[in-house]
Amino acid sequence: MARSIWKGPFVDGYLLGKADAARESKRSEIIKIWSRRSTILPQFVGLTFGVYNGKKFIPVQVSENMVGHKFGEFSPTRTFTGHSSDKKAKRG
Amino acid sequence: MARIAGVNIPANKRVLISLRYIFGIGPSNAKVICESLKIPEDRRVNQLTDEEIMKIREVVDRDYRVEGDLRREEAMNKKRLMDMACYRGLRHRKGLPVRGQRTHTNARTRKGKAVAIAGKKKVTK
Repeated sequence: MARSIWKGPFVDGYLLGKADAARESKRSEIIKIWSRRSTILPQFVGLTFGVYNGKKFIPVQVSENMVGHKFGEFSPTRTFTGHSSDKKAKRG
Repeated sequence: MARIAGVNIPANKRVLISLRYIFGIGPSNAKVICESLKIPEDRRVNQLTDEEIMKIREVVDRDYRVEGDLRREEAMNKKRLMDMACYRGLRHRKGLPVRGQRTHTNARTRKGKAVAIAGKKKVTK
């Protein structure tokens, strides 16, 4: 079920401060965040975030049409390297 | 035969059924159209007057997004997700279920027909 509109978008509060700080200082600095659950707000556009996927910080350059999605959507947590070739075929 | 919304030529079926041959009009939309134009349920397409056909055409063109436009919109939405490289986009790219369904089994609609794994043999006694 979708989130109620009256609640507004969910964002962990400290991200706002971090984003502002990054804006003030020089650009092209990756902001490391763990908050995959936060919604991407319009004021984050143009910044680069390093979204933690449990192992690494995946750099995410926020563009305009990402607004409204969550950070976690851009930082996959699973790696699928494909199925191994068949055992029998290897042996033979 | 009647042409509504471009290429669609529904046959000599009931209007309610024929309208569903248009991509973008399903059971509920067909019902709404018929009710709004006061076409009885058991009327068949070849029994419609030209005037009624015109009315249907008008309603479909005005109120509904059908056929090419709808397909284009759908493709655009998919493309947007894929270009963003978000999770849903990745799933679309790989042709796997997008909304968190299981893929251990099933998911055949998205994955296509099952392909046998080469060399895998059942153990025979």
